[in-house]
Amino acid sequence: MQVEVLPGSTDTQLKIALSGELDAITAPKLYENLNRLLQQHATVREVKIYCKGLTYISSAGAGILLMSIDNLTPKGISLELVDVQPEVYNILDLLGLTKLMPVSHV
Amino acid sequence: MYKASLQFGATTDNLPIIRHFVQAHLRPRIPNSVMLNQVTVAIEELCANSILHGNAEDPQKELRLELRLQGETLHIYLYDPAPPYDLHSYPSKPTLLRANTDRPGGFGIYLIRRIVDKIDIKRRRGGSSVYHMVKQLTHENSS
Repeated sequence: MQVEVLPGSTDTQLKIALSGELDAITAPKLYENLNRLLQQHATVREVKIYCKGLTYISSAGAGILLMSIDNLTPKGISLELVDVQPEVYNILDLLGLTKLMPVSHV
Repeated sequence: MYKASLQFGATTDNLPIIRHFVQAHLRPRIPNSVMLNQVTVAIEELCANSILHGNAEDPQKELRLELRLQGETLHIYLYDPAPPYDLHSYPSKPTLLRANTDRPGGFGIYLIRRIVDKIDIKRRRGGSSVYHMVKQLTHENSS
């Protein structure tokens, strides 16, 4: 699993590319990375995660996204997933995450 | 009947190996990539629960995963040295899951239930368990 800040990020909008596989091993690393990036970009109000390179997600990965929504929403920060692969979108949909946050697939 | 099995120690390091095993054996038999992914996820969730909760990530504990494809019906067996856990004690509605977000991965059982057509557990002599999941491959479960 890799997390990379994309060019085009601004003071208020953070664009991140997420790639690889998100499972019970890698999901906590995503949470740490997201928290670190949000500390570094304290004025951000919008986080867009580009997921074209994300090939797999388990419930542990989805749980991290849900935790992030719960942590960011009270702070007025929105979280959006962009370019999600159909297989990953299907799992997010089965768990109901597509109703809790904007998710668009490729 | 097509049959394949994998023996592995109870460590999360083996989760990618389990995924690759499942996909290598089932990709030629499940051409729909969304359904193949669903099956992979359900199997990984079951194995992850046994590794993390049943066997406390003890690599000395050996589990065995068996795939049996009979026509369009996939039977998945997980032989686990740990005692079975109560599937019905887990939340069954997505709204209940959000109360438990302090524990990542706490809704794996919910995901398994959404994906497979049937799951049951049998306690074996000596206290070990056999988890049995059934997935019909003739229809899509992507709702």
